[in-house]
Amino acid sequence: MKKLLLALVVFGLIGAAKPIVIGITQIVDHPALNACRDGIIEALRRAGYIEGQNVQFIFANAQGDFSVAMAIAQDFLARGVDLVVSITTPSSQAVVQVFKDTNIPVVFSAVTDPVAAGLIGHPNVTGASDMIDVRADLELLLKVVPGLKRLGQIYNPGEVNSATLTEMTKKAAKELGIELIVVPAEGTAAVPLAAQSLLGRVDAIYCTTDNTVAAALDAVIEVSKRGKIPFLFADPTSLERGVLICTGFDYFDHGLLTGEIVLKVLRGTPPKDIPFVRQAGTKVFFNLDVAEEIGFVFSPEAKKLATGLLFGGQRFIKE
Amino acid sequence: MLFLGAAEQGLIYGLMALGVYLSFRVLSFPDLSVDGTFPLGAAVAGILILRGFNPFLAALVGGGAGLMAGALTGVLATRLRIPGLLAGVLTMIMLYSLNLRIMGRPNLSLLGKPSVLNGLAQAISAPRGYGTVLAAGIFCAVTAVLLLLFLHTELGGAMRACGQNPDLLKSLGTNPDNLRILGLAISNGLVAFSGALVAQYSGFADVGMGVGTIVAGLASVIIGELLLRPRSLWGAILAAVGGSVAYRLAISVALRYGAAVGFTASDLRLVTALVVLAALAAPTLRAALRGESP
Repeated sequence: MKKLLLALVVFGLIGAAKPIVIGITQIVDHPALNACRDGIIEALRRAGYIEGQNVQFIFANAQGDFSVAMAIAQDFLARGVDLVVSITTPSSQAVVQVFKDTNIPVVFSAVTDPVAAGLIGHPNVTGASDMIDVRADLELLLKVVPGLKRLGQIYNPGEVNSATLTEMTKKAAKELGIELIVVPAEGTAAVPLAAQSLLGRVDAIYCTTDNTVAAALDAVIEVSKRGKIPFLFADPTSLERGVLICTGFDYFDHGLLTGEIVLKVLRGTPPKDIPFVRQAGTKVFFNLDVAEEIGFVFSPEAKKLATGLLFGGQRFIKE
Repeated sequence: MLFLGAAEQGLIYGLMALGVYLSFRVLSFPDLSVDGTFPLGAAVAGILILRGFNPFLAALVGGGAGLMAGALTGVLATRLRIPGLLAGVLTMIMLYSLNLRIMGRPNLSLLGKPSVLNGLAQAISAPRGYGTVLAAGIFCAVTAVLLLLFLHTELGGAMRACGQNPDLLKSLGTNPDNLRILGLAISNGLVAFSGALVAQYSGFADVGMGVGTIVAGLASVIIGELLLRPRSLWGAILAAVGGSVAYRLAISVALRYGAAVGFTASDLRLVTALVVLAALAAPTLRAALRGESP
């Protein structure tokens, strides 16, 4: 009897000290995706989930190999994680395929179109979508760039997030009476030529959250400066690199939003009762240094649309 | 249970390894088109499944598409005299665009759609949890036996001779070019069929899923040969599948124990390569330890 009691106490202690195990998987190493992951960890830290104390993270990265994404998901299942966070569409699809018949919660992040990705409708799955407001970006360009008629867009047709957004750009451009010229770039090496092909053909360039363009952004910036073409890129962290207009959200914030969903799940709300959320809080930044360099003038009305400005190498955020 | 996933993946990718074995070892043709034919099978099967076709039929049609793409590489390499590596690369590049066309978008979700692996697992009433690995094993075994039987036919024998000594074949009045085209067609058919099964297994088809197919295929064939030292044709075929399982096991080991020895997620490829390297170097090192010259 004494032994049994002792055993119970020991097990009780182990049970109390056992941290929650969270597996975090992503398809590649990428600044935005890493920022997203850091945001998730930060959201949990703020709520008192400290790594090594009451939570243990298992980080995995498929390094672009889709079969590894599947192996990671299976590894998480075999290790008995308490919750999975899957960043990007393919990693999320692999995780959902492996975990769909379990009751282990899955929270996806940085998935542009979770419905088309087949992630919705599983009781243990919820998450955050990084879908940007393409139409709002086009409307902004119409207000800021006088006489905008022809718009160029570079995208990687092999990236599901980007292809979705390009389809939406086509639709919105048609509705707004803008002629859209789409140039594909199947890899970072193809971006410089794709950008140069737009020289003299467009009044502005607009790129969405395309990972390939993000990786070869300097090539697009170079062309926009050489051709004095206004360039809008849907990533506010790229402003200092020389983009004229940056919109959208920071992936760290997207990570924070994802982290909030993870917290809800950890506090006991079943994933099926948490609808997936779209990232809100779009920012608009104008780079006045680049404007001066390419002789572009933001009208006083246009400047009112900005939530922040870059001027003399410094960021000024409107309150 | 620990490495069940590796066994599942190893067997499904084992069909791909059989295809690579056929081109690389039997025909002595390092064929890079597999990076394109693997997702081709996935794309064709994926779109057919979404249209309501039977998943087995979809996988067969996917394999058939790979068959044609492989024949194309063969025609480029033999009839048009394009160097083999380049012929494979050209087919691979063409298939990237074609795969996007077939799917209409870069990624198709097959989550919750019928899968031939699940179907077969139910049909044989496999024990819970082991359905996929048994179904994948059956596919692999049937394919391996068919391939073995084929290589023992007169045509298959000629194909083996073609890889070893094409001049001999010519002197016997057989055209080695036709055999190469046929061999590459079968090889890529197997690779595409494997891609079709992987799409059903993973719950999605993606235009990027072919990246690294040739590396995984070659690694499987070579690891298998080193581990099993095959001396016969059936041994070589068994080795290709065994090597595929060993390769996936290496990835699982890297995922599971990499962190414990201080590796981070970004070191995965290095760890995997080191595990493969260890398997490759083991015989030489063992011989050296015994004091023999390698």
